[in-house]
Amino acid sequence: MKDKIFYGILIAVCVVGAAVSAALVIYTFQLYQHASIISYIANGG
Amino acid sequence: MKLAKQILAIALAAAVFAAFDIAVYNVVTKRYINPNSEGMQAKSVELSKYLPFEENSEIVKLNSSFKLTDDLPVIDGAAALYPVFSAFVNAVYPKDSVRFDGENFTPDSALHYTNTRGSYKAIVDGDADLIFCAKPSEEQLAYANEKGVELELIPIGREAFVFIVNAENPVNSLTEEQVRDIYSGKILNWSEVGGKNRLINALERNEGSGSQTRMLSFMGDKEIKRNVFAALTGSAIGFSFRYYVEGIVGNSGVKMLSINGVYPDKEHIANGEYPLSSNFYAVCRKDDKNANLRALIDWILSDEGQKIIDESGYVTLE
Repeated sequence: MKDKIFYGILIAVCVVGAAVSAALVIYTFQLYQHASIISYIANGG
Repeated sequence: MKLAKQILAIALAAAVFAAFDIAVYNVVTKRYINPNSEGMQAKSVELSKYLPFEENSEIVKLNSSFKLTDDLPVIDGAAALYPVFSAFVNAVYPKDSVRFDGENFTPDSALHYTNTRGSYKAIVDGDADLIFCAKPSEEQLAYANEKGVELELIPIGREAFVFIVNAENPVNSLTEEQVRDIYSGKILNWSEVGGKNRLINALERNEGSGSQTRMLSFMGDKEIKRNVFAALTGSAIGFSFRYYVEGIVGNSGVKMLSINGVYPDKEHIANGEYPLSSNFYAVCRKDDKNANLRALIDWILSDEGQKIIDESGYVTLE
């Protein structure tokens, strides 16, 4: 595989990975803002 | 060989992100997922399930001999008591006195629901005549004093302050002292009270809520300390009122703990054996001159009013 293609794929994987992780963190923060003690404990917290 | 290394590097990068996401989801995200509807999450209680004058409402319906037609005291209260005061309105008030727009009660409704914090503010500000709550917090009393309002608290029933843990937690009972030691940071691990070797994540509620005020009173001179490490890895303990846990939320994923070996059921609250049972109150302004307000309070303390409290799942005064 040419270096240019390899780095292109690697950067794409990192960009998509970072975007998914950021979305997960934002989603978690939104859940946290409306968290209920009872559902938190029921979920194993 | 070079190609294999390149593929390995790409796979490794993808695996690192996937591992991070899976770890975050399992350790943090899934704990906060709330199975209740948005309405329930926003209000702490599903208002539409306990509306007065609705055929499918889950409130206790009683054909009362006492009716009010005008000068209706405006009613408000705590989430844990909403099914009770909604049932009072259903029994005594005219149907057109309650106006609900599908999500909230409208300003001209005689029934409101703004929870403990909102109710104490409403009664002091003159937006409500009668609220149903646990005792006010120091901050709420200070607000009343600042506005020159004297509140009158009339006990109308009994309820238990309860501690809850995950249903799979092997601990079933704690002493009052153990609970205080957990919340003050003296006991940090469940293994110290007969449980698994896991940190204890002692949860609190927001300032001014009925249960947080009760918790501060329970702790007395001991200060509540949070263990930040336990927040991520620990197994939680929280607190609430019995009927809110059992009746309104009804979540089978949690269990209530016995305190000093006594389980918080109706029998143990009624006979006084459960140590953390306390009164809940109808609260009004001492200077409120509405004659119907006193008549309504008298009716709540009568057999009919107490029957609603009992059949709603709470404990009556006697």
